[in-house]
Amino acid sequence: MTEKIQSNGRDVHVLSQAQVSVKCDDPVAHLREKLGDAPLALLTVFVTPNVDFAAVSERLNAVFPTTDIVACTTAGEIGAGGYEEGTILGLGYPAAHFDSISILVEDLDGRETQSAVDRIAQDRVALRDRNPKKLNGFAFLVVDGLSLREDTLTAAISPALRDMPLFGGSAGDGTRFKQTFVSFNGRMRQNAAVLTMIQTDHKTQVFSIDHLVPTDIQMVVTDADPDRRIVKSINAEPAAREYARLVGTNPDQLDQFTFASHPVVVRIGGAHHVRAIQQVTPKGELVFFSAIDEGMVLTVAEPRDMAEHLDEKLTELSRMGTLTDIVGCDCILRRIEAEQKQSTRQVSDVLTRHKVIGFSTYGEQIGPLHVNHTMSGLAIYAETHGGEA
Amino acid sequence: MSLINPLDSIERQNEKLLLISKVLMRRVEQKNEQSGLAYAQFERAALLEMQVKERTIDLERTLDLLQESNAQLEEANRETETARTNLGEAIETINEGFALFDSNDLLVLFNSRFCRDMKDVEMRLVEGLPFNDYVDLVSRSSSLALPPDVTPAQWANRRTERHRDNHVVFNVSLKHDRWIQVSEHRTARRGTVILQTDVTEIIRLERKEQDRMRDRQAQILQATLDHLNQGVCIFDHAKNLVGWNKKMNQLLDLPPQEAALGRNFFILLEQLEKQLIFSDQFDVDMLVRWANHNEGRSPIAFEVTRNGRQTFSVFGQEMPDRGFVMSFTDVTAERSAAKSLAEMNEVLEQRVQDRTNELGIALSEAERANASKSRFVAAASHDLLQPLSAAKLFVASVSDRLTQPDLLNVIGKAETALISVEKIIEALLDISKLDATSPTFDIQPVRLDAILGPLSDELTPVARDKGLDLTIVSCGLTVRSDPGYLRRIAQNLISNAIRYTQSGKVLVGVRRSGATARMEIWDTGFGIAEADQKLIFQEFKRLDMANSAAGLGLGLAIVERACKSLNHPLHLCSIPDKGSCFTVELKILCSDKAQKTTVRPMSDSPKLPKLGQIILLVENDGDLANAISLMIEGWGAHVIHALNGEEAIAILRDIDLVPDVLLLDCQLGDGMSGPELHQRIIQQYGPIPTRMISADRSSALAQQCASMGLNLMPKPIDRLRLFDFLHSVS
Repeated sequence: MTEKIQSNGRDVHVLSQAQVSVKCDDPVAHLREKLGDAPLALLTVFVTPNVDFAAVSERLNAVFPTTDIVACTTAGEIGAGGYEEGTILGLGYPAAHFDSISILVEDLDGRETQSAVDRIAQDRVALRDRNPKKLNGFAFLVVDGLSLREDTLTAAISPALRDMPLFGGSAGDGTRFKQTFVSFNGRMRQNAAVLTMIQTDHKTQVFSIDHLVPTDIQMVVTDADPDRRIVKSINAEPAAREYARLVGTNPDQLDQFTFASHPVVVRIGGAHHVRAIQQVTPKGELVFFSAIDEGMVLTVAEPRDMAEHLDEKLTELSRMGTLTDIVGCDCILRRIEAEQKQSTRQVSDVLTRHKVIGFSTYGEQIGPLHVNHTMSGLAIYAETHGGEA
Repeated sequence: MSLINPLDSIERQNEKLLLISKVLMRRVEQKNEQSGLAYAQFERAALLEMQVKERTIDLERTLDLLQESNAQLEEANRETETARTNLGEAIETINEGFALFDSNDLLVLFNSRFCRDMKDVEMRLVEGLPFNDYVDLVSRSSSLALPPDVTPAQWANRRTERHRDNHVVFNVSLKHDRWIQVSEHRTARRGTVILQTDVTEIIRLERKEQDRMRDRQAQILQATLDHLNQGVCIFDHAKNLVGWNKKMNQLLDLPPQEAALGRNFFILLEQLEKQLIFSDQFDVDMLVRWANHNEGRSPIAFEVTRNGRQTFSVFGQEMPDRGFVMSFTDVTAERSAAKSLAEMNEVLEQRVQDRTNELGIALSEAERANASKSRFVAAASHDLLQPLSAAKLFVASVSDRLTQPDLLNVIGKAETALISVEKIIEALLDISKLDATSPTFDIQPVRLDAILGPLSDELTPVARDKGLDLTIVSCGLTVRSDPGYLRRIAQNLISNAIRYTQSGKVLVGVRRSGATARMEIWDTGFGIAEADQKLIFQEFKRLDMANSAAGLGLGLAIVERACKSLNHPLHLCSIPDKGSCFTVELKILCSDKAQKTTVRPMSDSPKLPKLGQIILLVENDGDLANAISLMIEGWGAHVIHALNGEEAIAILRDIDLVPDVLLLDCQLGDGMSGPELHQRIIQQYGPIPTRMISADRSSALAQQCASMGLNLMPKPIDRLRLFDFLHSVS
């Protein structure tokens, strides 16, 4: 890709994009080829779980020895055709318009986080100081999707970022929920995260899309294991059974589709945040994708038509300028909901039309929050400070 | 669906609700264990995020407002720009130079005509140029025509001075005779608008008009000058001739106008100098010096004669331009007239002198004749008295022998006639004395009572015989006069009054009027008509010719002469048939100084009041001693004479008498001196009134006498003083 933007071209992008199937030989090499020769400040790679992530990670580091590479496993990719699977998707940030510093935060359970926060604060200032002409900043986070530490992490790093808006996604493992990975420059990690701070002269917009509408059905978590994000009882009844009663389903038939159709949210102030249910334990407990606690009031929400809502929201974004790229971290539950409602095609069309590239996640980060059942992302516009339109 | 499962029993429901409440309460109280940290963090983050979102919305709204304000500002700026453009176009259409300075005196805008005539200023005009810099540029512009002796800095200072005024209009002169009128106006916001109007054409027109007027004035002036009967020429401050009139041509034969114009004063003077003769105390050098003063000349006037024929009165005066003007008046005629006048005057003077001399001779001849007449009258009168006395004695002896009454009557008449002749001769003697060239008077203090008292005794019987009432009011005043003549004046006037009064009375009194005593003699007689009032004082004039017994007509003539000689003004006031009043004015002497005086009859020698005084006279000059002796003995005193001191002492011892008065000469030959003699006499006989007499008038002698208490009487001896002295001690 070149820097030159053709304003009327449909396929004009600021970011370098490349998508390769893992079925081919040396997909990383193909990826390298497709990304072109423009020097990159940063390369983010979303890797299908159906491949040896360690191998891909090493190979990437070899092929792009001078470029920072941030990679993670996915619960499915969002590529040129919308919802896709079994691919490796690379997004390159050209050095001409972007500069970045990435920090690998390891051992999310331990004391590592605080020192990372200090680094973030220093690097953010350094990055900004060395890029006086790239005034727009944002932060991108990839985090182990099974670490159970996303809420704590985002809350911790958010103050260090100050006004730098953060978006990100939790690495996925398809719909298996077994193991998820992140890697930075070939260093593959679990229970870790990579925070990348980026400065650009392009106009950018970090966003979060949530298509759920709270109903008046509410419940109280009466017993829980917050560390494992397990709700044991709701309204003093076994959690799964009470949830099923409230959403009007058979407790024995609770599955991902039920959770996608009947998500629960917590209402804080005037806003609501999805606390998505991951699965039902054999004991009839509910495992959540995000932090829960006893005494928490859950409200059953009803999803709006996802394709329609998404189109609406993305159209709003496109009105803010000449939209060239959208990086999306889309919740796996949304993909499941679309499948259940048989609207995958429509949603994919919307994603394609609005040039959304990204992956399906086990959770989304927006600002200091870790949420579920949403799409968080970054819109990039052709406009720069230099006046290019 | 609700929290409550309706399928549960009430107990179960209650149990569940209690549990729910407990959990909620614990949650609200945040009593959860560390395990709940992740959610708590989430919750806090969510709250925070919400607040941030709200703030962000506020911020965005603010930003929108800002954007809006910016848009409005932009709009305003555009409008300003438009207005500015419009203003620029508007001022461009003005036909004058226009510039606007703001309240800080910085140039805001100007049109293309501003300073167009000063290229070097125009190219440096920029927005924000301070006013002072603008003035400085103009002052140093090559196009500016500075007034003479004004530096650019001075010009700029004056220009800046003017800038402080509220409204300013002035003209600026540029090179090539171009003029710009500059006016300043203050705007409401204390800015300054400067307008520059090209007034060259107006100024030139004005100047033409002025020139025309000046020409006309010059013509009028020239005509006025030509009209003058004087030659006038005007020199400028360089002393060059700049104007003169026609008369001047005639007077000085100046070269023709054109040739003379601009000639230097000194060249002209040089041409004329040889023909000129300057009059009294003025010469050509003084004129040159005067002309050479470059200023402050005071006006000069002098006369000059040209070729000995023409005389000019020249007047020079400085002009305001420090030149000078000279006027020439031809005074030849006046001077020659004055000269002939002076000559005539001389002749007349000579004639007057001659006549005066002739008159003097005539006068002295007349005086001589008068004196000889007087002397003749005096001698004749004196000589007549002797035979007259003999005639009277003869008539008396005849009447003693006659017995016949008719003869006695004739003899009586002859006797009366002789007495009348005697009186006439006495009166003539008096008049001749008064008519003498220098009548001698004895002026002294005179008590009027001493005069009027005896007259009253003498004349009252005469008046009574005639049936008249004579009243003489006594008076204590003392006047200065000659007592003898004053007595004669009063006697004649009173006798006259009695003589010419038939009935009624005669009143005599003295009025005091300041320092003057008015002696008035009133009568109720015939009176004297005004036409006759001068006549009565002439000799032998009598108005009443019928009354033969009256008198001889010499009385008033004597009165008139005596009063005139004594300086006693004489007045007459008279009404015919009513009466007359004669008034004699006399000078009053202070009454305390008044001395008792006795009146000596004029015709007799004065006599001392105490007769038989013995006076010792010591005088070594025998002739002088005889003269003094005769004089003193005439006054009724005895004189013992000695030639020196020793003889005097011997005589006094022999006769054994003490003299009443000593008269001692100071220098008595070889023997003792006068003062020594005086010492000797008073030692022996006690104090005696003494007068030293001496011809030595030195002050040494006077002091010596004064120190000895002696009075000195200088020689020649004053008869009156001597008489007064003897009179005072007798």
